[in-house]
Amino acid sequence: MTKPLLEIRDLHVAIDGTEILHGIDLSINAGEVHAIMGTNGSGKSTLTKAIAGHPDYTVTSGDIIYKGKSIVAAEPEDRARAGIFLAFQYPVEIPGVSNMYFLRAALNAQRKARGEAEASGADFLALIKEKAKLMDIDAGLLNRSVNEGFSGGEKKRNEILQLAVLEPTMAVLDETDSGLDIDALKTVATGVNSLRSPGRSFLLVTHYQRLLNHIQPDFVHVLLDGRIAKSGGKELALELEEKGYAWLEQAV
Amino acid sequence: MTTQTHNSLQLAIDAFTPPSAEPAWLSELRQDAADSFTALDVPTIRHEDWRYTNLKPLLALKLAAAARAPITLDDLKPWLIDGADDIRLVFVNGFFDGTLSRIPALPEGVLIAPLSQLFGGDEGLPGKLARFADHHAQPFTALNTALFTDGAYIRAGRDAVLDAPVHVLYVSTGGQINAPRTLLLAGENAGIALVESFVGLAGESRFVNAVSEVMLASGANVRHAKLLRDPAASHIGWNEVRQDRDSAYTHHSISLDAQLARHNVNVMLAGEGAACTLNGLVLGNDTQHIDNHLVVDHMRPRCTSNQLYRSVVDGKSRSVFSGKVIVRPGAAGTDARQQNNNLLLSDDARAETRPQLEIYCDEVKCAHGATSGQLDPDAVFFLRSRGLDTRQARNLLTYAFANDVVEHIKMDAVRQHLEEVMHERFHGLLGE
Repeated sequence: MTKPLLEIRDLHVAIDGTEILHGIDLSINAGEVHAIMGTNGSGKSTLTKAIAGHPDYTVTSGDIIYKGKSIVAAEPEDRARAGIFLAFQYPVEIPGVSNMYFLRAALNAQRKARGEAEASGADFLALIKEKAKLMDIDAGLLNRSVNEGFSGGEKKRNEILQLAVLEPTMAVLDETDSGLDIDALKTVATGVNSLRSPGRSFLLVTHYQRLLNHIQPDFVHVLLDGRIAKSGGKELALELEEKGYAWLEQAV
Repeated sequence: MTTQTHNSLQLAIDAFTPPSAEPAWLSELRQDAADSFTALDVPTIRHEDWRYTNLKPLLALKLAAAARAPITLDDLKPWLIDGADDIRLVFVNGFFDGTLSRIPALPEGVLIAPLSQLFGGDEGLPGKLARFADHHAQPFTALNTALFTDGAYIRAGRDAVLDAPVHVLYVSTGGQINAPRTLLLAGENAGIALVESFVGLAGESRFVNAVSEVMLASGANVRHAKLLRDPAASHIGWNEVRQDRDSAYTHHSISLDAQLARHNVNVMLAGEGAACTLNGLVLGNDTQHIDNHLVVDHMRPRCTSNQLYRSVVDGKSRSVFSGKVIVRPGAAGTDARQQNNNLLLSDDARAETRPQLEIYCDEVKCAHGATSGQLDPDAVFFLRSRGLDTRQARNLLTYAFANDVVEHIKMDAVRQHLEEVMHERFHGLLGE
């Protein structure tokens, strides 16, 4: 049996001394798409931040194993360079840095760290044009400051553009569907689907089932009060849509 | 009354002899300024306008008189601006260097020359020089007027437009006291762009005491950048601007390096509908102290003023921003905005901010805002999650913060030059 790409073992995570996650176990193999669903405050975002290595989120016990190695002590940039990517629920605005400059700086920081050749101006331009087309992002958005004055939909598409450019192995998407109208949702889903590959895994965190109509997950997990209450196939998402989360709360 | 504190500066005045024979009006002006200096007190931190900037270290410097020094084009290279150097005046310790300067053929009505070549001519300097820089009120203006040996004269007559910027480089060497002087006159509907670079290499501490006078007749348009890049300098600059009806003045003060700097920018909006934009950037580190002190006087109706000053302070450096807007009685329809943002990169860095409004008129629109803070930790994390290390993330965010001022510079060559300088300063991320 092959080893999982990402394995989360009895993970406990605290913010400011308050424990949010009370023992998460999750195993994601290469090429799989997992969805995490749950109500607000169930710990979904905390899990994504812990995987990406946000310094405010402390792993108090348990472990995160990525490509066979524990990463809980690794810096966020080292995780990124090893192929972990987090699409933010609330993308940060960076006035004064053009999207293009930022993307190239990020790509080259990662390539350099991996001992690969940095992208030249011309190569990068060709790459970004191709990826922007995929995400239906026009050139104007590339030359504007990162996320500054972007609409909600543009910000989310911009996150997926970063995913497309950086080509991570483990992509974690934190409520990428929230605040999107149906057209934007379809664009995002098309982008994600085109990036699915046998070597790349996804963890989709979402509140609603509708994203999963467009991106078919292999597994669905329900998070409740910092624990995984139930795991199943994609049919679990439909069940949640129909019944809501209350029946699970009673079951726990 | 001569006080104990300005002895070293008084000595400089007492020891001064003009480099060549001067016309009577200039000798009289100098004498008047010298007398004023002697009568005025050098400000201390007990003066309201100087409470954050202590001049004691400056007054303690042992300063030599300004003297000629050999400078080569190679020496100048770091400070030249590709695309903005076709018209160039170079002064070394206050002395014009003709071999390093370039004055090509100019459009009708435009004159660019060292002041010293015009002292005795028919350009009318006696009525123009020292008209708005008041040496009776300001001791440092008096000191400059008593000591300046030369300077830049830029005149664009009525309807004359010169698109290429004029680059004036004031180079300082050694531990001297220097008195750069600029006079810019823009006639009716004239348009001109000026870059003043105050430059020098690390070395003995020096005192650069500059005065620039800028006059805009009605409808004139002047773009003006002041770049300070002299790590050994205590720099005090007085920038006196008078604007007539419907004129537009843009000032960019960029402090890249100095031990101590105090930039005074005084703008008189003396004609209806005049507009000024004053932007500034401070990049401070070590123990540098950079003080920007602005006064915009809305004297007539329907003038607009816009100030955006930002500082980035690291190490034990300190920045000061005082921006005063005065709206005179009758200046209805005034639109004045002030914004000051400070980024503190270390625990020991400090930023003082004092936006002030004095309004003596109804029907005005005035807004001011100030922020001081550290880098946004969420933004740092965002960049780290994309693979930049902490240093790169902080540098990129710092660059972005500072560049918000630079990107307003409409002189393309100057803006591009400063972007490159900042890339270098913040360890260019792209590596090529």
